[in-house]
Amino acid sequence: MKRRRFLSGLAVSALVPPAFATDYLSIEGAQKALFPAADRFVPLSLARGAAALRVPDARVAAMHAFTAYAGDQLVGYVVADAVIGKFELIGYAVGLTPERTINGLEILWYRESHGYEIRQPAWRAQFTGKTAASPLRVGSDIANISGATLSTTHVTDGVRLVAQLVQATTA
Amino acid sequence: MIAAKGFLMHARHPLAVALLALGLALPRAALADEAALQKRIDALEAQLRALQDQLTAIRADAKSAQASAANAQATAEKAVAAAPQAAASGTAAVAAGNAAPPASMAPYAFPQIGPNTVLSSYGEIQYNVPQNSNDALADVGRFVIGIAHSFTDRTRMAAEFEVEHAVTSADDSGEAEVEQAYVEHDFTDHASGKAGLFLIPVGLLNEHHEPTVYYGVYRNHVETAIIPTTWREIGVGGTWHDDTGWTVNAGLTTGFNLSKWDPNSDEGRESPLGSIHQEGQLAAAKNLSGYAGFNWRGVPGLEAGATVFYGGAGQGVDFAGKDAKVTLYEGHVRWTPGPWDLAALYAHGAISDIGDLNATFAGAPTPVPATFDGWYTQAAYKFTFGGGQQLGPFIRYEQYNTARSYVGLPVGFDVPTGPNNKATTLGLNYWLTPGVVFKLDYQWLRPDDTQSRFALGIGYAF
Repeated sequence: MKRRRFLSGLAVSALVPPAFATDYLSIEGAQKALFPAADRFVPLSLARGAAALRVPDARVAAMHAFTAYAGDQLVGYVVADAVIGKFELIGYAVGLTPERTINGLEILWYRESHGYEIRQPAWRAQFTGKTAASPLRVGSDIANISGATLSTTHVTDGVRLVAQLVQATTA
Repeated sequence: MIAAKGFLMHARHPLAVALLALGLALPRAALADEAALQKRIDALEAQLRALQDQLTAIRADAKSAQASAANAQATAEKAVAAAPQAAASGTAAVAAGNAAPPASMAPYAFPQIGPNTVLSSYGEIQYNVPQNSNDALADVGRFVIGIAHSFTDRTRMAAEFEVEHAVTSADDSGEAEVEQAYVEHDFTDHASGKAGLFLIPVGLLNEHHEPTVYYGVYRNHVETAIIPTTWREIGVGGTWHDDTGWTVNAGLTTGFNLSKWDPNSDEGRESPLGSIHQEGQLAAAKNLSGYAGFNWRGVPGLEAGATVFYGGAGQGVDFAGKDAKVTLYEGHVRWTPGPWDLAALYAHGAISDIGDLNATFAGAPTPVPATFDGWYTQAAYKFTFGGGQQLGPFIRYEQYNTARSYVGLPVGFDVPTGPNNKATTLGLNYWLTPGVVFKLDYQWLRPDDTQSRFALGIGYAF
């Protein structure tokens, strides 16, 4: 019982939103960066994919997904999410083409003392062209960043989950 | 037609939209050519799909908000229950309604003890059996608790408290120490500064020394004997980095205190700088030291860097070594293509202006070395399994000499330099999860092979 109370307390305290974050890009900014030609971003529910993949509701509720249109033309999908790096939260957004191929990864915010190298274009470019069928794992098709293993691993795991959810939702 | 468009824009139910759209489209289709008809149908389908997306999202949001309002506590417990699965995927969820995540999208299963305050810990327990010896040892090598707190979006503190060898008292071998305690501030997105007791950014291990990070039951010899990991000083430091992979570090700190040198102890031969470091404990600070270094990580998976540290070691004490200076420089490279993890490092240390001091140590077994150095190269391969499990066999070869040369020894009181130690380590790291590692290795040591050893270890970090 004590353990249960402790865990509940831990969860409640964890639910306190971090008041501070170093913001590099808003979601709107990421949308435009990932799909410059799009003029509409329509909210997209990932519930179907989550049910198919048995991803917990709480995990999917943490994401903001959009369908991107240029006029009436579907041009892709954008999913904004956040993961914990080592101690702190990392916000990121993934763009996927209508064929559900990743076309970009943007870092929205980052406030760890180490591991800021994940913002480097060269590291983020590794995700371009990958799909839900790709390994999308550090040490496989994504290179690690020395000294930022947790940040790179957790962001990569997040991108993999996003790719799989979009695939399962829209295919 | 204009009226129909207006209805389409304001219709709330997608089926109504669809029926109306089809109703309007079909009669006209009889009069239009096939291509034009298809174009119109495509456009209407796109509009219908967009409206369906909107409706689904609105329903999902409404359902989520209702559930949250009804029972916030249940949501919290559910989050905890869901944590293992999220952790298995390497993620902990938060949401991003805007750049700063709203409360409904906060993380779960995270050791947070208050807003903007996080708790961390790492520890390791080792067991080793030296070759040709009955001196097997089991030891709680270290247990560390850390805390970090963000005061604002750009100002934070971090501290670590460490206990080595389990028990600390006047009659025991253990140590209790503050390993880090500093405040850090981001001046810009690319430049930050810190002040306090912090780790010198040198080599591959000093700043990243958790047991889950390095291969082998024990830290490598070069970054223990030549670079005195975990090496920290009190001072101020700055870091600048850009988006092309460059990171530059520089700082002004306390340094070493040569007046602590004990020529009758083996400590200086085990680690020259380790025997005269001050670790922020009433550190003599007459002579400050400076460091500068860089790392380049412009190619994913590659890190190459170098650091130099220089400073006086006399610290205003009136003794024969009052003008002594310590210089340490190192270069390192690490490359992690795919499952491979390849690393190499060279470190060189020098203590100058020690001739007069060594003259006073005539006959003692451990005079102050003028130079000391070492290098290692390491190769590892990581096999990845489900649930975050990884298996990492590795091999490491090291050479290090803690007394490469001496100066100032009186004639007839020469002390042999060296030895030129060689260590080959073959072992295995097994990560049960990324935060828990089991290790085993065998280490061949030369020239003193009586110290060759088999070792087992367990470590964790979060």
